[in-house]
Amino acid sequence: MSETTDQPVVETPDGAGKPDMIVLEGVEKIYPGSTQPAVSQLDLSIPQGEIVMLIGPSGCGKTTTLKMINRLIEPTSGRILLDGKDVTHVNGDQLRREIGYVIQQGGLFPHFSIADNIGVVPKMLGWDKQRIRQRADELLHLVGLEPSTFRDRYPRQLSGGQQQRVGVARALAADPPVMLMDEPFGAIDPITRDRLQDEFLEIQRTVGKTIAFVTHDLQEAVKLGDKIAVFATGRLEQYDDPDTVLTRPANDFVSDFVGGGAAVRRLSLLELAHLELHPIETDEAGAGGAAGRNGTAVAEVDGSGKPVSWRHLPGGDATGVPLVTVPISGTVYDAVDVMLDSSASLVAVVDEEGRAQGVLHWNDLVGGLRTRERDA
Amino acid sequence: MNFLDYLASNSQQILFLTQAHFLVVLIAVGIGSAISVALGLAVSTGEPDPRRFSLDWFATGIREGGLVFTAALLTVPSLALFALFLPITGLGVTTAIIVLTIYTLYTVLRNTVAGLTTVDRAILESARGLGYGRLRRLLTIQLPLAWPVILNGIRVTTLISISIAVVGAVVQGPGLGILLLNGISRIGAANSFYQVLAGTLLCLVVAAVFEIFFAIVQRLTIPRGIRV
Repeated sequence: MSETTDQPVVETPDGAGKPDMIVLEGVEKIYPGSTQPAVSQLDLSIPQGEIVMLIGPSGCGKTTTLKMINRLIEPTSGRILLDGKDVTHVNGDQLRREIGYVIQQGGLFPHFSIADNIGVVPKMLGWDKQRIRQRADELLHLVGLEPSTFRDRYPRQLSGGQQQRVGVARALAADPPVMLMDEPFGAIDPITRDRLQDEFLEIQRTVGKTIAFVTHDLQEAVKLGDKIAVFATGRLEQYDDPDTVLTRPANDFVSDFVGGGAAVRRLSLLELAHLELHPIETDEAGAGGAAGRNGTAVAEVDGSGKPVSWRHLPGGDATGVPLVTVPISGTVYDAVDVMLDSSASLVAVVDEEGRAQGVLHWNDLVGGLRTRERDA
Repeated sequence: MNFLDYLASNSQQILFLTQAHFLVVLIAVGIGSAISVALGLAVSTGEPDPRRFSLDWFATGIREGGLVFTAALLTVPSLALFALFLPITGLGVTTAIIVLTIYTLYTVLRNTVAGLTTVDRAILESARGLGYGRLRRLLTIQLPLAWPVILNGIRVTTLISISIAVVGAVVQGPGLGILLLNGISRIGAANSFYQVLAGTLLCLVVAAVFEIFFAIVQRLTIPRGIRV
């Protein structure tokens, strides 16, 4: 098993210094009988280990671009390099076996069991049965499906979300360095989609693949992308990290496409773990005397250390203010969501065990959020 | 002499003719299905690009032409087709099997084409994206998924063949047609009606045996993941 778990954890959307894994050079696609190129003179480099989101209105060439990377669609001109190797003219079927590919609903084969679906590429590559079985179990684990329950099932016995997980597992089966994803979460309900996106990022943290990902959902692009490539009728309009695309659109098209609400969308880029939070103190339930600590919020905690109510709030009355919490792994977007939902002007940020780590005030949002010094 | 007495006293002949009927249909459907499925697979392609000439055009042409041709054959009255083959292949089993085979072609070819073309495009697309070549995709993905539809075509064509095989008796083809033809030509004579009745009922028995056979084949050959 050549699982690349020793890959450095990718946290910052900073591609500098990493070699380019996917390079498109002057790639153009003109469909037969058409005079207008579907994709014209495209140059695009995707650094190793990054997720690049291809986004744009329908017919903009984002899917054509994705499918030219594994030559499902043959480019009319230009060059495609994978890991420095020119693959513009190699055997397409063999090329595609070395590139992961995920489509909407996973595109699973209905007459293959889940294990067999995951094993299709390893089988074509001539792995022995034992190794294929082990790999399928390993990948089912990775995508959060219990192998003993799922390996012998058939796709129709799985929910849409589970099928999508299997689709991702199948793409990862032969451990390809590059994955192409064509609106994989497009046909899935919003709640499941959100969870799948989180899991997908979690998986990417361990596997560190180079990923090109087509979506029409800006929220998804901002959440998942290290970089976003915005397309308009065959041209790349902007290629930047999500923050830049949202705050400094390159032109009118991008600014129109990003539309209003960019500031709100940006909130989902701000991770609570990176913010300077207000301090919080805790008291055991029933313990007396919290006076004198005027500058610090005091929360009453239960036996396991989880905050249950406010005992004291600086410069205000703590009675009647509901204590709501948000996990520190979330973003400011999640915190705002919780605050709006419960009409609270502040929220306690808690760690995995539910213990309070700090406080975020509504006023902080307009007063400017202070980020902690980030480790370089 | 009542019907049961008739059956009892002629049981050997009746059993022989029933077996012969079964075998003639089995052979004809077997050959016809093999030809049709193979042809259907060979000419299966996507929609050819209307703006560019390619091999897909040949395949599409053969496919559509084959459908029209076999459909035309199916509409030729069976009595006439048996008679038309007489000068070429003469009296007997050969003519019966050739003509029967011709009648099986259209239904199986039509269902093969329909089955192959209605396979979910997303599935074929993902197969291509995973590195499946054209032939591998056709044989391991498209064919198994189209198989229930193809098998249904074979099943329908078998039922049709059972009744057409009766007409084969005019060229001295084997089977229950001999019983029926004999009975009809002697109608009014002793046991003539019993002959017709026995021939008819045993055609139903042959059909029932084939239905059981197909239920088993279906069970064994349709992959578990797509069984309804």
